[in-house]
Amino acid sequence: MLLIPCPHCGNRPELEFRYAGEAHIARPADPSTTSDQEWAEYLYFRSNPKGLHIERWRHVSGCARFFNCVRDTVSDTILKTYPAGQPKPDLALIVKEAHQ
Amino acid sequence: MRFSFLNLAKQALSAHRHWPEQWRFPEPKAEYDAIIIGAGGHGLGTAYYLAKEHGLRNIAVLEKGWLGGGNTGRNTTIIRSNYLWEESQGLYEHSVKLWENLSAELNYNVMYSPRGVMMLAHTVHDIQVFKRHVHANRLQGIDNEWLTPEEAKEFCPILNISPNMRYPILGAALQRRGGTARHDAVAWGYARAASAMGVDIIQNCEVKGIRRDPSGAVTGVETTKGFIGTKKIGVVAAGHTSVIMSMADVRMPLESYPLQALVSEPIKPIMPCVVMSNTIHAYMSQSDKGELVIGAGTDAYTSYSQTGGLHITTHTLDAICELFPNVRRLRMLRNWGGIVDVTPDRSPILSKTPVKGLYVNCGWGTGGFKATPGSANVFAHTIAKDEPHPINAAFTIDRFKTGRLIDEAAAAAVAH
Amino acid sequence: MSDSKITRRSAFEGLHPIDVAGAVTVAPAPYATRFSFRGDPKAASACSKGFGVMLPNALLKAESDNGRTAISLGPDEWLLIAPDGEVEALEASIEKALDKQHHSLVDISHRNTAFTVSGPKAETLLASGCLLDLHVSAFPVGMATRTIYSKADIVLWRTAADTFHVELWRSFVPFVWGLLEEASQEL
Repeated sequence: MLLIPCPHCGNRPELEFRYAGEAHIARPADPSTTSDQEWAEYLYFRSNPKGLHIERWRHVSGCARFFNCVRDTVSDTILKTYPAGQPKPDLALIVKEAHQ
Repeated sequence: MRFSFLNLAKQALSAHRHWPEQWRFPEPKAEYDAIIIGAGGHGLGTAYYLAKEHGLRNIAVLEKGWLGGGNTGRNTTIIRSNYLWEESQGLYEHSVKLWENLSAELNYNVMYSPRGVMMLAHTVHDIQVFKRHVHANRLQGIDNEWLTPEEAKEFCPILNISPNMRYPILGAALQRRGGTARHDAVAWGYARAASAMGVDIIQNCEVKGIRRDPSGAVTGVETTKGFIGTKKIGVVAAGHTSVIMSMADVRMPLESYPLQALVSEPIKPIMPCVVMSNTIHAYMSQSDKGELVIGAGTDAYTSYSQTGGLHITTHTLDAICELFPNVRRLRMLRNWGGIVDVTPDRSPILSKTPVKGLYVNCGWGTGGFKATPGSANVFAHTIAKDEPHPINAAFTIDRFKTGRLIDEAAAAAVAH
Repeated sequence: MSDSKITRRSAFEGLHPIDVAGAVTVAPAPYATRFSFRGDPKAASACSKGFGVMLPNALLKAESDNGRTAISLGPDEWLLIAPDGEVEALEASIEKALDKQHHSLVDISHRNTAFTVSGPKAETLLASGCLLDLHVSAFPVGMATRTIYSKADIVLWRTAADTFHVELWRSFVPFVWGLLEEASQEL
């Protein structure tokens, strides 16, 4: 079970959370002018990286807020969490900080 | 070398010490007519059918670890074809028909055992869904029948059908031709038969890159054993498909999750069939060694860690103890995880790709073992002819763009 | 109007008492008035005036005064608890203090219920289904948070070194109570 650092509540057990998929995927602003390929990319195509993954979680049985999380999908180590709405972080910088 | 009674008797005279190696351990050639990435059941099977049915003998199967060491060696070996949609029924039934004759065809005992797969209904919704499956299957000539709780208990006597359970059993759908097979025997059988026809199986050879010419077509693969040229690449890399495909700049509609399984200490035969339960999230069968083979669900988050949360297996064992109270005191011997690649509609992708010469067989989610022969058979056709077999024509990547999804909520008995 | 009479029934009716002498007692809390309040810091500060207790800005805190309690559950969410029978009066005074500021105030008096767990083994009993570190150094008096007990959502509030107040949806009571009862037999 993961211990997830909620940006509001601190370290909490995984069972208090719901996973909500890859983060920073923006819904196309105007679906009527979006091509089928772009719409499919938005709905279904995912990075699924072996390494650092930026993902959404919701602390549903805690503060109930969505937030974003940078996790290494090989070791499941969580390197950073930050409130929803903040811009996508610089992954190279996060790796550098983690090794300090 | 053929396995036969005479051969067996001959080898017995020397205490079975002189059996030849079952397959060759070649170094890669400079170039092949086709390269398969991934030596699991699906990949080895693809090579076998390419060689046998399409005459392509100059081919290689590349494996970063050892053959059959990925999901082929990590699954719970359930075989069935009781899917809802015609596309899926065609694919999985093709597979079951190949299973029925596979040991004889490969001259290798894959221990296919059609002992029956029973799926339990615990809610009114389950009953409606399973009965719909029964009807849909029968219309296609696939066996599937509805059982009352009492009939289910007669078929599997250790089942708890007490109305006092948290989720009482209200009935079950039974596919008698479903069952199990021996997972590693399937990989070994295909490897041996393919190797005998000239297929090079190259283990400990990890693909690091896919090389393409200016037109975009593939020209070969970079590996830990150097560059290997080819004009056709079949990617059969299960949980790592997204990683391999990104080497050719192809994004996939896939997410990889850890899926766990576990086995108990071996006991005398008590479990005559496979029992699965959607609703309370558990399935179990008994191996020929006597171990109870139990499958759990996936973790909530994507991962390549080949482990999984202990709470997932605990949850499954809660359900197992409720369904089969007499296994409560058994000890679990081993548990492990595999990485399963899941598509948005829970159906696989067996398809050409936007890159010329690149083919992909993936997205089997939690239920790929059952499809091994059928998948390999039609994927070999797709690679050889550069067009899909009618059976896998609907299983394209394009379906996520056109919207023609094959939405199999029943793609595994446990929810993904 | 129908003349059928609505009677109030405790969610704890018919449950076995949980009382291990010298170790722990689990007791239903009295009926109470409860609101879920959501709004920004400005609205929260206005609500404090109407409610009579300062809504804590810091997360995971309970503030009590004069029998009323405000618990901060999230950055913009508070649970308000007051004595039974004050729904209309409190609603009026909070709405007045907020003066049409953007907010949400929902009466959840009948959705929620509560019990207390007290005694030297209170931490141990709750740890049977609660995943948090309940030692007083990690979960001090006055701390409160939404969390889970087994599979049920609860709000856990430490009111004294050996006493916890547990808020939960009333339909979860038989489930949670049954597990606590079972766990209490192992103390």
